[in-house]
Amino acid sequence: MNAVDGSDHYEKEVEGKSSITGPSPSLLVIVIDTNPHAWALLSRTLPLSKAIANILVFINAHLAINSANQVAVVASHSHRAVWLYPRPPPSSEDVDMEDHASNLDNANKYRPFALIEDFLITSLRNLISTTTELDISSTTTTQMAGALTLALSYINKASLSFSDTSSSSKPATNSLETSDIPTGLQSRILVVSVSGDLAHQYIPIMNTTFAAQRLRIPIDILKLAGDTVFLQQASDATKGIYMQLRNPQGLLQYLMMAFLPDQMSRKHLVAPTQEVVDFRAACFCHRRVVDVGFVCSICLSIFCSPPEGAICLTCSTHLALGDYGAKPAVIPRKKKKKRKLNGTDTGSGRGTPVPGE
Amino acid sequence: MTSSKLPLSIAGSAAYKKQPGTLSIPRDRTSVKWTPLDAGSSVSIAMSHITNFQQTPETAAKVILKFYEKQSETAEAVAHTFTFDSPSNPRGEANAIKDVLTPILAATKAAAAANANDKPKGAGSASAAMAIASAVASKPTSGTARWYDDTQLKIDIELQQSLMKKDPALNRTYMESRRTKPDTISDSQFNTQFWSTRTNVLRAHAVETNQKRGQYNVLSAVKPRQVDGELKMNISAEQVQLIFSQHPLVKRVYDENVPKLNEMDFWSRFFLSRLFKKLKGERINPDTDATDPTFDRYLEASNDMGPSQRLLSSHIPHIIDLQGNEENQGGSKDISGNRQDWTMRPTDVTKIPIVRTLNSLSEKIMAHVAPSDVDPADPIGMDEGTFNSLALRDLQGDEQENRIMLNIKEQSRFFSSEKSEISAEAASYASQVPREVLSELQIDIDPSLMNEDDTGRYELRTAIGVMEDSDSEDDGEAKVAHVGSKASLMDAQKQIFEGIVARRSEMDGSSAELSLSGLSQRSFDRLVLTHATTTEFLHHFWVIFLSGDPDRAGELAKMVETLERAMDRINAVATDAEKERNELIISEKQRIKDLWEQTGKKKRFDPNSVGGGEKVVREMMEPTIKTLQKAAREYRKALVAEGIDTT
Repeated sequence: MNAVDGSDHYEKEVEGKSSITGPSPSLLVIVIDTNPHAWALLSRTLPLSKAIANILVFINAHLAINSANQVAVVASHSHRAVWLYPRPPPSSEDVDMEDHASNLDNANKYRPFALIEDFLITSLRNLISTTTELDISSTTTTQMAGALTLALSYINKASLSFSDTSSSSKPATNSLETSDIPTGLQSRILVVSVSGDLAHQYIPIMNTTFAAQRLRIPIDILKLAGDTVFLQQASDATKGIYMQLRNPQGLLQYLMMAFLPDQMSRKHLVAPTQEVVDFRAACFCHRRVVDVGFVCSICLSIFCSPPEGAICLTCSTHLALGDYGAKPAVIPRKKKKKRKLNGTDTGSGRGTPVPGE
Repeated sequence: MTSSKLPLSIAGSAAYKKQPGTLSIPRDRTSVKWTPLDAGSSVSIAMSHITNFQQTPETAAKVILKFYEKQSETAEAVAHTFTFDSPSNPRGEANAIKDVLTPILAATKAAAAANANDKPKGAGSASAAMAIASAVASKPTSGTARWYDDTQLKIDIELQQSLMKKDPALNRTYMESRRTKPDTISDSQFNTQFWSTRTNVLRAHAVETNQKRGQYNVLSAVKPRQVDGELKMNISAEQVQLIFSQHPLVKRVYDENVPKLNEMDFWSRFFLSRLFKKLKGERINPDTDATDPTFDRYLEASNDMGPSQRLLSSHIPHIIDLQGNEENQGGSKDISGNRQDWTMRPTDVTKIPIVRTLNSLSEKIMAHVAPSDVDPADPIGMDEGTFNSLALRDLQGDEQENRIMLNIKEQSRFFSSEKSEISAEAASYASQVPREVLSELQIDIDPSLMNEDDTGRYELRTAIGVMEDSDSEDDGEAKVAHVGSKASLMDAQKQIFEGIVARRSEMDGSSAELSLSGLSQRSFDRLVLTHATTTEFLHHFWVIFLSGDPDRAGELAKMVETLERAMDRINAVATDAEKERNELIISEKQRIKDLWEQTGKKKRFDPNSVGGGEKVVREMMEPTIKTLQKAAREYRKALVAEGIDTT
């Protein structure tokens, strides 16, 4: 198996450096977008249940690579982000477990696989059954930013506890900051995304993206439907893999071929990521995705049109607009009507707001 | 010098051309200003322009100050006469102004003189320091003003020419743009336009060309050669000057010996002497080096103006001024009763290592370079850095945070405002009935339908839908593609491989030939040039279009014409490229025909394999063509908005 994921190479490297043996384990956090609206649209080609089954196979493969590998699954639901696995210790009743005890006792299944499978499906059913009509009628999007935040905090916790337990055998290395050969827990995030339109979560998503970038956690995006600019940027900034599936029914193939290798192996592989990245940003004032906009020179807030009174909405700095918005004069010396310029188009080349008194 | 330490503005009431007013010197001490009491124009004379000023004698009844102002080197000096008419103390007010002006003018003149003959400015005393400070301050105003002024740069044709000589690509763009510009735009108009977008480049070039070579270590530059047992050397007057200024000792030796010694003799002997070796920083070998009584006398003499002299010219802060402290405490006699401090004293001159010689030489050379990081507003003697390094920080309290307050407002406040934009996806989500959506999802994950066997076991194998031996799947019954079907997996694999291939070619980089896409180098170069000029004209168009200046509307109309012609030029390149491609195809066909006639072998030929042509040109220029169209559209829109029919 080591030869397959390239970790045998890593093993040698590490052995040369310290006394640690065995490839360093990796933690895979999967964020599943469970937006009911989007899944309803997708149900003809790929129902949620099938997608979960595919993902379970993928998880099993990940766990089979290394016995120390870990996995966590977060659901980014329409109104909240929920842990599917591992289940948060408090406030969860063990009633469900009793029901499925038979499944766990199945001799034909590797117990860790069965355990995750059971937890995951149970929590998912819980989540769906507790979702009310009101919950999904009030919003059409998904709490992706929240889910990513949960994933990052879990990764942080997991890598801390990992370096705690293994620090006895080796000098404490902070896996987050060593650059060349990170030892310790290799973490990555896989987002299975189905809904588009995340413009209103632009800032929190970009914040998590930058946090992940700093921690060297790749964010892989598996896009089943819809298109979100910011998830592209997230995977690009963190050197993750972005794949917009042409054929969602081949999900398993995508998962196994593109997303299974961990960071160490990816160094030696060519990632099948999408090469064109949409780098547009969403404005802070109307959540529009803009190509050309206005940026506050003090706090770098983005606006699609000059804010009212040229005062930055975020930091209240009074900005000067230069001679932006001067109406083009096409006829010499004649009185003309007022003409409003299309702000997003003609802003190029001039009108960078400068701070003024 | 009190004036510079107390920079208050000084004023006195004075009449100018018989009008009552106030004569004042503002705090920055850069000008003398007279403001009338009633309405009227004020008079301001820059300090650097005052060549001289006169005052009536103390005994005279009338108190009059007279300034001679010279606007530039060539201008005629203009006299300004101010009569002090203060009822109480005209003489006192005039004297106050005079006291302030005198040192400043003296310093300016000293600086000017120092600049003119490039002499070391270490003449000691405070006024020299002042001169240096003002020289540094005055330099930017005179020499560099040109660099900061955009209009100056734009009309400096000499500068532009020299820049274009240096940058052939720019020159090509310039020539091509000028050639293809509309005839209605004059050369000078075009020039201004062309350079107006490149003032930064011009400025950089101006600064670059204005840099002067500084002093160098002249002794090591002079290389005497031994020809036929005779010493030959070339030494210019300039070098002699430099030697004198860098090595005051040589000057002294020269002064004391040259009338007695032939000048030629002096220099040739000097370059062989031990003194020369010492000054140059070489080790003297007592065995081989020839002795020369004339020069050896000076071996022990100090080459410096003496440390005391050097130190005097550069203000030593009192706190580290050991000599000053010592004098303060009674000197070597030591009246304080403490043991003598013998650390950090200069030792015997002869023991000064070579590196010290070199250091002092470098120090001297560097002293001639005006520091670029000096803030003219700094107090003389101690700069910010010195002060900070001397300050006893342990005794100070916590430093105050000196930050600019940034008031960040809760972002959600303006996020929660009405949902303005709804994407297509959100709209399609919204069109669904929530209840149906939910029930569908619940059914989907219902345990009874999720491939669970009767014991409640979840069968992943069937759930993923992959059937290993389902080759005949598609032939048998025309099934709907299901999740995990062979076809879908194949398709997925294909997409992944496509991604990998694209990525790999990106990583490997494309060869030069590929990047031409089959165009000949000549066509490609032409295309590049066309692109550059088009971009240039587009730039001008937007600058004028967005300026909103009605006076430039005529210019704008011409610019639009040019843009239309730019399109024609792209078309011309495309046509030529197409022609080129056709020729290539024909010649290739001919080759195949010849081959067939000669050998009877037939070779298939696909014209599509020949790259280049119009299609490639259009592909390459697509963004440019789009921007051209956009510009034309915007212009027409603006015209329509003015109520002009544009058909």
